[in-house]
Amino acid sequence: MFAAKGSFSVRLPEFMRTSTFRWTLVVSGAFALCILLMFGFVLAQAYAYMRVDVDGLITGIADSIIAKEGPERRIERLDEYLHVDPHGVKLGGLFAADGTRIAGNVESVPPELKLDAEPQLVSLVKVDASGSERRTSRALARRLPQGETLVLGRTDYEFVWIVHSVERALALGLIPALCLGLAAGAFLSIRAQRRVQEVNRKIQRIVAGELRERLPTQGTQDAFDKLATLVNGMLDEIEALIRSIAGVGDDIAHDLRTPLTRVRVGLERARQNARTADELRTAADQAIAGLDQSLAIITALLRITEIEHNRRLDGFRHVDLADLVREVGDLYEPIAEDKRVAFAVRAKEDVAVHGDRDLLFEAVANLVDNAVKFTPEGGRVEVSLQHAGEEAVVRVCDTGPGIPPGEGERVGRRFYRADKSRCAPGLGLGLSLVNAIVKLHGFRFSISGGPGCVAEIAGQLASA
Amino acid sequence: MAARATEHAEALQLLVADDPAAAPGPGENDSMPRVLLIEDDRETATEVMAELVERGFEVDWAATGIEGLDKARAGNADALIVDRLLPGMDGLTIIEAVRQERIRTPVLVLSALGAVDDRVRGLRAGGDDYLTKPFALIELVARVEALLRRPAENRDTILRVGALELDLLSRTAKRGDRALELLPREFRLLEYMMRRKDQLLTRAMLFEEVWNYKFVPQSNLVDVHMGRLRRKVDMPDEQPMIHNVRGEGFILRAPA
Repeated sequence: MFAAKGSFSVRLPEFMRTSTFRWTLVVSGAFALCILLMFGFVLAQAYAYMRVDVDGLITGIADSIIAKEGPERRIERLDEYLHVDPHGVKLGGLFAADGTRIAGNVESVPPELKLDAEPQLVSLVKVDASGSERRTSRALARRLPQGETLVLGRTDYEFVWIVHSVERALALGLIPALCLGLAAGAFLSIRAQRRVQEVNRKIQRIVAGELRERLPTQGTQDAFDKLATLVNGMLDEIEALIRSIAGVGDDIAHDLRTPLTRVRVGLERARQNARTADELRTAADQAIAGLDQSLAIITALLRITEIEHNRRLDGFRHVDLADLVREVGDLYEPIAEDKRVAFAVRAKEDVAVHGDRDLLFEAVANLVDNAVKFTPEGGRVEVSLQHAGEEAVVRVCDTGPGIPPGEGERVGRRFYRADKSRCAPGLGLGLSLVNAIVKLHGFRFSISGGPGCVAEIAGQLASA
Repeated sequence: MAARATEHAEALQLLVADDPAAAPGPGENDSMPRVLLIEDDRETATEVMAELVERGFEVDWAATGIEGLDKARAGNADALIVDRLLPGMDGLTIIEAVRQERIRTPVLVLSALGAVDDRVRGLRAGGDDYLTKPFALIELVARVEALLRRPAENRDTILRVGALELDLLSRTAKRGDRALELLPREFRLLEYMMRRKDQLLTRAMLFEEVWNYKFVPQSNLVDVHMGRLRRKVDMPDEQPMIHNVRGEGFILRAPA
């Protein structure tokens, strides 16, 4: 971005290229302009006021001199006026009709000075004991009855003095203020830049894989801090996700290794020891079964991930739970019977929820599947549907070994299987699937008991 | 693998020999069903082709989407097997193109994408069946055969296979003079099998079609339900009609 602006920008110190610094420059410039305009206004006002004042003064003096009888009295009055003059601002002269000076400290009547007019700005030459000098002044000229000319004026001393004062004020006030502004701008931009650089360093570390790194915050609650807090929250989430993915990876690796090791060992032994085609065939069948089990684990995991990431709820409909529970019972009743496990379904009440029927079916089927699988011969499995208050409750009870106390929380984790049931066939993924489905619906899932097991799915009733 | 395939081929051959009239399809005369396989992985393609040829199919192979589309358009195939992930092309594009030209050849979609959504998308694009990779070869063959022999829209209200008779109106079944007491599920299962007599029906096919469920059950649900139906259909002193093809699925056929 900066490179495009040419080499000039590139050579500037880093901080001068920040937007903070640029804005400081703009604001300082505007500030200085305002001050200058203000002083200019004050000067113009002061000048206008002084002019009126000076003009009135010299007009009054001129009138008082002209009012005197006789030349001597006029000269006396003029000298008296000029005499009291500590700053040397008073100018005056009486000139004969031929232009020679009779009295006063003005050398001659300047040709541009109009007779009997309003006071005007002219350049007069002042003469006194110390010599002569040219001064810009407000002045007027009057023709006297005997043909003489009276010139009266006042130098711009006050005005120049005010201008000098203003200049000093500007020098003492504006320049330090500007310098301060620039310094503040530089300070702020350097500070902001340091934070950006620090953030940049941290981000580079994060990109390099250091996921525990977080952006620095200073507890000041400024915009920068808020942004950093936000990004840190996001990083927390990402870290948790990545860790859970890594956890799943470990689980997969662990549970896939067992069947794959069996397959490998079986094939290896068959290659060495099999003497007949039948023996080889048996080994191959076992290997295929082992591979199928591994593939089933992967499929189940992908299914859980699919459900967990399914954010679309538009497939949700009114689901008749009684019908669903009866259907699950219908599906599993023969299996329970084959295992000589008593099986009962109680779903008389008309209970409905809002959800995805296929997924809910899968969840309930999984619970029943587990119950039937883990209940020993002669045991009992009961599936019931009730509504308690505002909730629909599907409960699956069995007389199996149950869940060891304190492990109720862990059963929803992928691959969890209570040690006692390690020998029963299954993938250990059923309950995490149930968990994922229940979470998607915003329902509750709990499992408890031992011996015997009670698994419950509770969800809000659908409004009719 | 090869040994197992041969075993099954023998089983099929046996079936055909048993009742040639009832088993139009693989191995019959010159009209070998032609299958077009569109699959980019050479090794998979080779195995699939070998299996199909062994089962009496004539197989044409296209390794790219373009080639596959050309061959599919020619319309010589009786069934298409289309891999979804072809280099530079989604297999669904081929199916859509073919369907737009009103070619109604049945299509089996193969995919490594197993999510329910992907499946729905595959079927909506015009696929007739969807098989997720990796699959058992026997599953693939069974599904191709099912596609080729889809039951014609049958207006009959009574289905018959051998002595087995199913009355769809009165919802009753009998074998010879013996009435069968069937539960609703068992009735649906038997109806499905009778409409597809002499075909190998895999567990997954039955679970998807008869029970309408898309998930993979943990227990051997299909076997248990089939076992019950079988005990009702085949009494110990009768010739069995429901056959369990070892580890692969079930076949219903009339006794010789």
